[in-house]
Amino acid sequence: MKWFRKGSKQEDLSLYNLIQHFTKSGDFIHFHNPQSPKPYWISYYGSLVDAEIVHRDILPYLQDPNISGYEDFQSAVPIEKVEITSDLETIQKKMLAGSVLIQFSENDNKGALVRAEMNKAREVSIPEEEFSVVGPKESFVESLTTNLNLIRKRLPIPQLAIREFTVGTLSQTRVAVLFIEEIANEENINTVLQRIGDLKYHQILDSSYIAQMISDNENSPFPQLIDTERPDRVAGVLAEGSIVILVDGSPHALIGPTTLVKFFAALEDYFINWQLASALRVIRLFSVSFSILVTPVYVAVLTYHYELIPRDLMATLVSSRSLIPLPPFLEAVILELTIELLREAGARLPTKVGQTIGIVGGIVIGTASVEAGLTSNVLLIIVALAALASFTTPVYKMGNSIRLIRFPFLLLAELWGLIGIALAFAFLMGHLLRLTSFGRPYMEPIYPPRLEDLKDAFIRLPFKMQPKRPIELQSPDTIMFSGKKAQEMNDIDE
Amino acid sequence: MKVDLKEQFLISPSLAFFLVHSMQIGVGVLGFQRYVAAMVEQDSWITVLIAGATVHVIIWMMYKMLNKEKGDLISIHESTFGKWLGGALSFLFMIYLIALGTTVLRSFIEVIQVWMFPMIKTWPIALVYLISVYYIIAGGFRTVTGVCFLGVVIPLYLVFTFLAPLEFSNYRNLLPIFDHSVKELALSVKTMTLSYLGFELLLIYYPFFKKPETSQKWFHYGNLFTMFLYLYLMLITLVYFTPDHLKRTIWATLTLWKIVRFPFVERFEYIGIASWVVVILPNICLAFWAASRTAKRLFHVKQKKALGFILLLSVIATPFLKDRQMIDRLNSLVSEFGFYFIYGYIPILFVCYYIMTKVRKKA
Repeated sequence: MKWFRKGSKQEDLSLYNLIQHFTKSGDFIHFHNPQSPKPYWISYYGSLVDAEIVHRDILPYLQDPNISGYEDFQSAVPIEKVEITSDLETIQKKMLAGSVLIQFSENDNKGALVRAEMNKAREVSIPEEEFSVVGPKESFVESLTTNLNLIRKRLPIPQLAIREFTVGTLSQTRVAVLFIEEIANEENINTVLQRIGDLKYHQILDSSYIAQMISDNENSPFPQLIDTERPDRVAGVLAEGSIVILVDGSPHALIGPTTLVKFFAALEDYFINWQLASALRVIRLFSVSFSILVTPVYVAVLTYHYELIPRDLMATLVSSRSLIPLPPFLEAVILELTIELLREAGARLPTKVGQTIGIVGGIVIGTASVEAGLTSNVLLIIVALAALASFTTPVYKMGNSIRLIRFPFLLLAELWGLIGIALAFAFLMGHLLRLTSFGRPYMEPIYPPRLEDLKDAFIRLPFKMQPKRPIELQSPDTIMFSGKKAQEMNDIDE
Repeated sequence: MKVDLKEQFLISPSLAFFLVHSMQIGVGVLGFQRYVAAMVEQDSWITVLIAGATVHVIIWMMYKMLNKEKGDLISIHESTFGKWLGGALSFLFMIYLIALGTTVLRSFIEVIQVWMFPMIKTWPIALVYLISVYYIIAGGFRTVTGVCFLGVVIPLYLVFTFLAPLEFSNYRNLLPIFDHSVKELALSVKTMTLSYLGFELLLIYYPFFKKPETSQKWFHYGNLFTMFLYLYLMLITLVYFTPDHLKRTIWATLTLWKIVRFPFVERFEYIGIASWVVVILPNICLAFWAASRTAKRLFHVKQKKALGFILLLSVIATPFLKDRQMIDRLNSLVSEFGFYFIYGYIPILFVCYYIMTKVRKKA
């Protein structure tokens, strides 16, 4: 990109010089065929172009004696949109995206660009982070085109709009913003388009770059956009009126605006019946609060409030802690860090070694440290459960946040016991209330209280009770579907 | 004079319910019974009802004024008494708000010191608490309202814990009914109204409602809910404590919690007090928010700066309130001021305001 700049003062800015500059690159192919009826020059990046297309769809037509100029060639080649241009910027951009340049004279200032890019993409595979036993088993891949195809297949309607951007001065990453016209809120769309349009960065390696840069509050530990690898989830939220961002080279789509409770909704909740789904959701929410609070409460109670524990339970606790030399706070911090360490090691190591580490760390170290009298087995159970509970969040990034915010709670619990935990909770509450996602309140439907949206928050009510789009998304078209069930019993035995 | 605010900062009128209720319930709930029962004993629950009813009248008066003015207390003062006298009165109100926030905070820290940590220093807790208050208020009135909402909803489970003492209660404690003179009742009503204080902040946040006139209904409901909660607590207290026992119990509500018992938790009052951190958060946030908002309207300074200054003042002031006597004196001072402000000043202002608007119209 550096060589060609708009309005640069270079004297001999011709197509010939551009090609000459390209040939310095080892993978650039530039050759002349004087034997053919109409001699031609062909140039392309060998690493970007599918050789089969060149051999099958381009070269044979160049040998055709009927071809006398660019226009003839354009109509003869069986590839759509052969462009004849003399615009150097277009030529450079297209060639770097995998087009082949055909010239009939080396000094010609124009040429025909034929698309022949190589599409090497991973096969669409089973979702690994958001696996569900029931339901579709497709997940996104790194190729934007494939991902768009997966979504379009699920929403074959002309209203599905895709706006494309190129972000990153070096990486030239394609970023697509998806929404359904007349369902997504205009204001939300403009916010997203504007924020992505304003992005200034040199390289976008993954959609999480975009997520961090366009989030409302970059200093929050909480993710403000859901990232998902499931095309079915994307199709589902598009229909509700959300906006989806896809990034080329990233198998994760970003969804916004979103709310806190949506991070605890798994897609599987919609595939099983509503009573079961609601129960699972409640368990998930319970386990999250358990995960945040349980170790701090242990520290608070054992440091300051022995009186809270009933006599029978006290006996168990005292016997497990009687030989421990460390105060509860240190004991808890050490164990929490050990678990984090195990998780981190497990995440970095190859899968097979990771399992071994899990066994060594989880079972051997755990048992040994209890036997050695370094930690109490009650705390070991608590910490292990808390770690396990934090993994019940369907969105991986939220689980990480949950594990992180436990530490400030621990610290305040050590300082002021239960009062400290309540103070930490006050902070957390204030923070969550201040957060927004694309300008929409993060705590909705809890605050602002919207009873209507509670139907799909802590519990999931049956589909027929959810005819309206969430108020949160401020969709101009509020009704999702209407109509009654075909068969409804009016009375007993009728 | 209309006070204009951007649409995005406004809140739904139904949230008036939580704004008024969260502000009325504070540290006072932990021990209001003794003061009221001192004179009327088993008839205290009647007092609760009468006091609640008088509050409704004052709320009606405030809404009458505010609906006409379409502004807040500062603009009412200015149009009634002119710039200087009105400004001075608003300033006085601001001082009251600061004192109110500080008193609530200090009284709550006292509860912590008496019940949980006898040795704890006042200022570190005050500092941490007020940092979170600053953080919340800096999020704007919507965030403050959010805290009011959650400050009501999250601790609502505590209502059920008060059922536990019923097991040991004696319902004959309520008899005989109407056994006190009108004078005794009137004096106890005065004491009880102090527990209803906090709704006067409507005079500041009124312009923050979308279609503010429609919020009146919710405001009354909120007060009604407070009244029922006080009635509920008062009845349980009366049947559980004998009159003599109650006279010697400073924090009757906390003492009630001592009865609550779960298989995994004893001494429930610890959990109750910890939950109370969230209950009084709206009190303090709203008071300091209103104080800084008044400062902004009066002196045209940035609200952030005013807020920082006020909170700093509060942090510095709390450690100087050392013992029970001082806290009690400050408490009664602030509540006396609140009482005369609401039952003396607001009716006067109401009359003055109507006369002034009539005069203005003719002129």
